[in-house]
Amino acid sequence: MKFIKSKLVLALGLVSMLSCEQYFDPTTNIDETTALANESDVQTVTIGTYAFLNKSNYVYSGHIMMEYPSDEIAQGQISGNDFTRVYRYTHINTSTHATNYWSQCYKIIAATNKVIGFVSNDASTELKQLKGENLYLRAMAHFNMVRMFGRPYPQESGNNPGIPILRDGLSDEEATKLPRSSVKEVYDFVISDLLAAADLMTVKKSNIYASKEVAYALLSKVYLFKGDNANALKYANLVIDSGRYSLLSSSNYPSYFKVVPENNTETIFAVRHTSVQIAEISSMYISSDRSGAPLAQGVSGWAELYASQKYIDFLAQHPEDLRKSFITPYVLNGQLQTNKKLTPATPMYYINKYTLQDNVINASSPVYLRLADIYLVRAEANAKLGNTAAALADVNLIRTRAGLSGTSLYTTANVASAGKTILDVVLEERFLELAFEGHRIYDLFRNGRPMIRNYPGTHSQNNTPTTDVRQTIQPTDPRVVFFIPQNEIDQNKNLIQNP
Amino acid sequence: MKDRYKNLFRIPVIAALSLYMGQEPAEAANPGLRIGKLAATASKRAEYTVTGKVTSAEGEALPGVSIVEKGTTKGTTTDIDGAFSINLTNPGTTLTFSFIGYTTREVVVEGATNLDVVLESDAKGLDEVVVVGYSAKKVRYLSSSVSTISSQKLRDVTSNELPNLLQGKAPGVVVSTNSGDPTSPARVVIRGSGTISASSSPLYVVDGNIDGSYNPVDVENVTVLKDVAATGLYGSRAANGVIIVNTKMGKAGKTEINFNNTFGWSEATTGNFRLMDAQELYDFQSTFNPRDPSVLKNNTNWWNEAFRTAFVNNHNVSLSGGSDKTTFYVSGNYYKEQGTVIENDKTGYNFRTNLRSQLTNKLTAAVLFNAQYTRDNYQNSNTLYDAYTNLPFDPAYENGAPTDGRSYPNWLGRDRENFLHSIQYNFAKAKSLRTSLDVNLDYDLTDKITLSSYNRANFGNGSGATYYDRRTKQGGANGGELYNNNNNNYRLLTSNRIRYSEEFGKHNLTLLGVAEAETSFAEYNTVSGKGLPAGQDVLSVATDILVSPTSYNEQVAFRKFLGQADYNYDNRYFLVGSLVNEFSSLFGKNNSSANFFQLGASWVLSNENFLKNNKVLSFAKLRLSHGTVGNAAIPNFASLGLYTISQSASYAGVPGAQPFQKGNPDLTWEKIRASNLGFDISLFNRIDLTVDLYNKKSEDLLYQKPLTATTGYSYVWVNAGSVRNRGVEFSLTSNNLSGKELTWETNFNMALNRNKILELSGGAATFRPGNRLPLAAGHDMGEFNLPVWAGVNPENGDPQWEKIVTDANGNVTKELTNSYSSVQTAQSRQFTGKSTNPKFTGGLTNTLGYKGFTFSAFFNFVYGNWVYNESRAYFDNDGLYESYNQMILAKGWSRWEKPGDVATHPKPIVGGNKDSNQSSTRYLEDGSYIRLRNVRVGYNIPVDAIKRIGFARANIFVSADNLWTGTKFTGPDPEASFSFEDTPGNSSIKYPISRKLLFGVNFTL
Repeated sequence: MKFIKSKLVLALGLVSMLSCEQYFDPTTNIDETTALANESDVQTVTIGTYAFLNKSNYVYSGHIMMEYPSDEIAQGQISGNDFTRVYRYTHINTSTHATNYWSQCYKIIAATNKVIGFVSNDASTELKQLKGENLYLRAMAHFNMVRMFGRPYPQESGNNPGIPILRDGLSDEEATKLPRSSVKEVYDFVISDLLAAADLMTVKKSNIYASKEVAYALLSKVYLFKGDNANALKYANLVIDSGRYSLLSSSNYPSYFKVVPENNTETIFAVRHTSVQIAEISSMYISSDRSGAPLAQGVSGWAELYASQKYIDFLAQHPEDLRKSFITPYVLNGQLQTNKKLTPATPMYYINKYTLQDNVINASSPVYLRLADIYLVRAEANAKLGNTAAALADVNLIRTRAGLSGTSLYTTANVASAGKTILDVVLEERFLELAFEGHRIYDLFRNGRPMIRNYPGTHSQNNTPTTDVRQTIQPTDPRVVFFIPQNEIDQNKNLIQNP
Repeated sequence: MKDRYKNLFRIPVIAALSLYMGQEPAEAANPGLRIGKLAATASKRAEYTVTGKVTSAEGEALPGVSIVEKGTTKGTTTDIDGAFSINLTNPGTTLTFSFIGYTTREVVVEGATNLDVVLESDAKGLDEVVVVGYSAKKVRYLSSSVSTISSQKLRDVTSNELPNLLQGKAPGVVVSTNSGDPTSPARVVIRGSGTISASSSPLYVVDGNIDGSYNPVDVENVTVLKDVAATGLYGSRAANGVIIVNTKMGKAGKTEINFNNTFGWSEATTGNFRLMDAQELYDFQSTFNPRDPSVLKNNTNWWNEAFRTAFVNNHNVSLSGGSDKTTFYVSGNYYKEQGTVIENDKTGYNFRTNLRSQLTNKLTAAVLFNAQYTRDNYQNSNTLYDAYTNLPFDPAYENGAPTDGRSYPNWLGRDRENFLHSIQYNFAKAKSLRTSLDVNLDYDLTDKITLSSYNRANFGNGSGATYYDRRTKQGGANGGELYNNNNNNYRLLTSNRIRYSEEFGKHNLTLLGVAEAETSFAEYNTVSGKGLPAGQDVLSVATDILVSPTSYNEQVAFRKFLGQADYNYDNRYFLVGSLVNEFSSLFGKNNSSANFFQLGASWVLSNENFLKNNKVLSFAKLRLSHGTVGNAAIPNFASLGLYTISQSASYAGVPGAQPFQKGNPDLTWEKIRASNLGFDISLFNRIDLTVDLYNKKSEDLLYQKPLTATTGYSYVWVNAGSVRNRGVEFSLTSNNLSGKELTWETNFNMALNRNKILELSGGAATFRPGNRLPLAAGHDMGEFNLPVWAGVNPENGDPQWEKIVTDANGNVTKELTNSYSSVQTAQSRQFTGKSTNPKFTGGLTNTLGYKGFTFSAFFNFVYGNWVYNESRAYFDNDGLYESYNQMILAKGWSRWEKPGDVATHPKPIVGGNKDSNQSSTRYLEDGSYIRLRNVRVGYNIPVDAIKRIGFARANIFVSADNLWTGTKFTGPDPEASFSFEDTPGNSSIKYPISRKLLFGVNFTL
C-alpha cells in the first residue's frame, strides 16, 4: 500500500517535472519575425536605423577618418589610439577606425534594406516617407565610404575601385562575396537612391531625420564631387530655394553648436545625440568647464588635437571674423599654452564645435549638412561653370554672416589682384567656414590640390631634423584613401586591397 | 545503524549501497555488527565455536583478515570468502580484527556463535570512498577517472578561492589566472579546452547538487570527475568536467571546538621584469628624443607607489559534534586579503551550519545552510596601468601631497595622471551576499529501495559602486561621477531519486532513477549620475544622470531525467551504464532537449586468483569508459534572429528596433564524445600509480562566428565543427618512508594534452582569420597565427617582418620588408606552431614528517605554452610613446645604434619606428614556468604540554606561497589564462601573482 502511494507521489513528481519545460522570451530583444511584420513596425525599425548613426563606430570613427588627415588640426602628442596613424597618414590595414566605420555603415545599410524591401512604392504617404528615409541613409553610408576607401572621383573618371554596393534583396551568400564596385558605380547607385528618396519623401520632418530637401542637399554634394556642376547647382538651388532653411544671424552664429539641431534653422541634417549620449569627438579637442572656459588637458577632455597654426593664421587675417568663436585658445595667466611634447611646441587652440550642446560638456549632435555648406557648394559649382558673380555672391553671403564687411568681401577685382582664382576663394571660404566638420580633405583632393601641413604637429615627427615641420600630401598619394579593413578581406576574397 | 548513517550523512547514497550489499537496517547498538543471539543455554558451554564473515562497509568479503583473541596468541585469518571460524573458551572474551587499509576493531563476544563484522576503511588511497555523480564508491571499484584532494592537501596555499587551491594538485586539472588580484578568481580547464564560445569552466557540484555556495575552509574534500562515465550524469553541463565539493559534517561524540588562524604578508612578484628609473630613461631617450636634464630632478618609482606589502589574515572557528541521532557542524570564517596593489582588497565572511538527523528508523534529514558575505575593493583610477607607464620624471608628491598631473606645470607623462591624487577620493567596490539552503531527505521504503529528495535554494544579491570625485581626473569632466549597479538572482532546484539494489549471489545490481528540475532567475540594473559635490557618493546628490539607467532580467529552466544501472560480479567485473535526457530553455524550441549516454567497465585484476596475494602487485585495475555529454553554457536565445529594442536602438528619445543577432534555427547542442582507458596499480601497498589515456571529441561546437560586414551583422551562432583533445595523465603517490618517527611521501602528477581542430563547418579553413588565434582546421585551437618578426635590419635599424611572396611561376619565397601592412595579410601571416596551450602541466609535492614536525614543498609547472606579451607594445616599442616609461631590456636583447649592428630592437624614433609594436611574433614569448607554489613547516605541539590549558590539540605552522619561479618570460609573471573564456595566452598590464609569507596557529578545545 505504502509502495503504491509512493509510486503515485513519484508519478506526480514526474508530471510536475515536465511542467518545468518552460521557454522564456528575451527582455531587451524581440524576434525578427515579429520586428518587421506590419506597417507600424516600419517607423520603429527606421528609428533603430538612425540609432546606428549616433554610435561611436559611426560618428566618432567617421569624424576621425574625415577630419584628422586635414590641415585644420594639429596633433600635439602621439596617442596609442589608431587615430594617430589617420592623422599622420601612416595607416595600417588593421586600422580600428576604418574597421569600425566599415562595419557600422554596412549594418546601417543592411537595416535599411530590410525596410526598403518591405515597403512597396505604392504604400501610404507615411510609409513612402519612411522608405525614402531608408534610401537616403543607404545612400549616405555608401557615399561616405566610397570617399574614404575609393579614390577621388576625378582620378580615372571614377573607374578606380570603390566599395561593395549592398543592394536590397541579396541572398546571404551574395552579400558575403560582394566585390568592390567602381567609384563611378557607387556614385551612380547613391544618386539613384537619393533621387528615389527625394521622390518618396513628402513629410517635412525636422532636421534630425531625412526629408526631401536633405536628399537634395546630399545630391548637390554628390554631383559636385563627381564634377557634374550643373546638377550640383540644380540641387543646391532646390535646397536654398525651398525656404526651409536660413543662415543663422551673425549674433546667433557663435552659439551655432550649442543649440540642439531641431532649433537650428541652418542645419539640414544632424546626427542627434541626447545629453546622455556623448559623442567622444570633443574629448580630443577641448578641456573646458561648463561656461566653455579652457581647462588643463585631462580635465573634461584629453585635448590633444588643436586647431592648426595654419588655420589660426588664416583666420587671423580678419580679427573680426566670428569664426574665431569656435576656437578656445588655452590661455593661462594671459599666456597661450603650448604642448611641449613636440619640438617646436604646438600651440594649444582648443576646438569647441563639438561640446556644450544644451550646456552639457562634450555633448554634441554633429552636423552632417548645413545651409552654409550648400551655399558654398553652389558657389563652387558656379565658379566652375564660370558664373563668377554668382559664386562670389554666395561666398560674400557667408563672409558677411561671419561679421566681415567692406574690403573683406570679395570682388572680381580684388580676387584677381590677390592672384587668386574664384575657386581658390570658394575653397578658402570652405576652409574657414566648415573647419573641423570633415570637409577639408575632400575639398582639396577632389579638386586635385595637395594637403600642405607646414605647422607643428606629430605629422612631422619622422622628419629629420624633427624641427622641420613640413608635410605635403599629394592628391595622388596612396594614403589619401584608407586600406580596406584586412579582416573583411580575410573573409571575402573578392575584396581587393588598396595599394 | 550508526555506521550507515554516518555514511549517509556524508554521502547519502551509501545507505542504499549498504542496503543492497546485504546489511540489515539493524537496530543493533553495536556499529557494524550483526549478532545472532544464542539460546541462553549456549553461553554456558565451556568451549564454543564462533563463525562469521568479515566484510567491508560496501559488503565485499575481506579475505586474509587477522583475528586474534585478545590477551592470547590464539588466532586465525579469514578465507577467500571472508569467512572465519575460531574456537573460544571464555564467554565475554574480546576478538581483535585487523587488516591493512582498514581500521582495527575489537569486538566483545557475548555468547555469540555467529559474528559478522564490518571493517571500516581507513579511507586512504584506493579505499577512500568518493562521490561520483549520484553515487559514492571506493576508488578501488570505480570505472572512471577521478582525482580526490583532501582538505589537508587542499589547504596548503592561502586563498579564499578553490581554484587557486587546486592548482597543480590533480593531473589534467589545469588552473591558470590572469591576475594576482584577490578579487579575481582563477580559471580551471580540465583535459583541455574543447569549446570556443561556450563556457570551458567545469561544473561545481556542492553537497550532492549542482552549484551552491561554499567556503574552502569548510571543505572536507574535493573530487574532480574527468571522464564521461562519471561526469555524464550531469548531462548538458558536464562537458568541461565536474568538481565535486563536499563540506564537513559533524561526528557523533564529544563536541570539538576548532580555531584556525592564519596571518601574513604578501608582495607582488616581479620576475625578470624591471622598469627604467629616471636616469636610465633619460639616457635611453637621449639617443632619439633628448630631454632637458632638469627632468632628472625627480626619480619617481611609480611601481613602488602603486604596490605595497599587503596583509592577509584568515580566522575560522568551528564547532562539531552530536549524538547518535543528530550531528552538527557549525563554522564561522573571516578572510581578508589585501591586494599588492593599493586600494585593492577582498573581505569575506562565511557562515555554515550542517545538521543531520535521523528522524525515524527509515527517514533521515539533513539541513545545510551557508551564507557568504563578500566585500571587494577594486584597484581604480588606472593605478596598475600608470604603475607601468608613468614617467619617473614626474613627481608623485609635492609638499607632502600627491601632485595632480592635470595642473602640474610641465607634466611629461602622456596621461597626465597621478593615481595617488585620484585614489584619495575615488573608489570602486562591490559587495554581495550569497546564501544556499539545502534540505535533503532519505527514506528507506524497503530494504532495497531508497527514495531521496535533495532540494536547494540559492539566493544572491550584490551591489557595486564606482565613484569618481569631481576633484580627480576621472571625475573632473562631469563634476563627479557615480555608477551604481545591483543584481539579484535565485536558483531553485529539486533532485528526486529512487534507488533499488539487488543481490543474487555474486551478482550485485543497483538501479538509480533521478528526476531533476531547476529554474533560475537573474536581474541586473545600473544607474549613474554626475555633478556630485566633492566627497559625496550617493545619487541623491547628483544633479543629472550620466548615462541612461539600464535593467535586465533573464530566466532559464532545466529539466533532467536520468537512469543508471550499476552492476558488478564478485567485485571483479564492473559495468555501469546511464542515460540522460535533458531539457534546457537555452536552446531553441526545435532542439530544446537532448539525450546523452555513458558506459563504463572495469576489471579488478588483483581480485583474480592468479594475482591474489601477489606481494609486489597489491592492486591492479583496468578501466574503460565511453559516452556523450553536452555543453549548455551559452547565452540565452543564441538561435534566434533578434532585433534589439534596448536604449541603444532609440534615437532622439524615440524607441526603435535594430537588427542585432542573425538567427540560426538549426542551432543544436554541442556534444562531447569521450573515451577513457585507465589503469590503477599499487606496488607493495606503498606506491600507487594511476594512468589515464583519453580521447575527447567535441562536435557541433557552438561558436559565435564573426560575419563579414556586408551581411549587416557582427556574428551568428553556429555549430562550427569539431575539436579533439587527447592526452595522457598520470599520478604517482609513493610512501617513501613510513617509519614511526620519520615519514616521507611524494606525490607527482603530470598531464599531456594535445588539442586539434578536426574540421570546421562548411569546409572553412579558419573561422576568424586575422585574429592571433584564428581557429584553423588541422591546428591547435590556441595556435598563434601572426606576421613573423624578422628582427632588425642591420643597415638602418628598421623593423623587419617576413613577407610571403608568390612569383609569376607560383614559387613561394620569403622576403623581408619594413612595411607592416604588407605582412598583416592572409598570405603573410604564418602559423607559428606555438600555442597558448601547454604541452604538459603538473605538480610535485614532497611531505616529510618527523615526530611532531611536518615539512612540505609543492611545485607546479607548465611547459611548452606561449604567451603574447601585449604589454610590451606600451613600454617596449622603440620610441612610439616617448611619454611612457620603458622596460629595461631583458637578457640578450640589444638596441640598434649604428649601421652594421645586429640587434633585437629597432632604432628608436619618436612616434615609433614603422609600426614595430604591432601584432607579430615579436612579443610572443615562452610561457613555461616552474613555481615553488608552497613550502610549509608545521609542528604539532605535544598533547602533554597543552592539556593543562585545556587544549586537546594544537599546531603551528609557517607557510610561504610562490617563493620562487623559474621562467624565461620577460614580464613580471609568466602566468596567463589558458581558458578560451578569457583571451588565452595573453599578458597585458599584468597584475602579478603575490609571494606570501604566512603564520598559522590552530588549536582544538
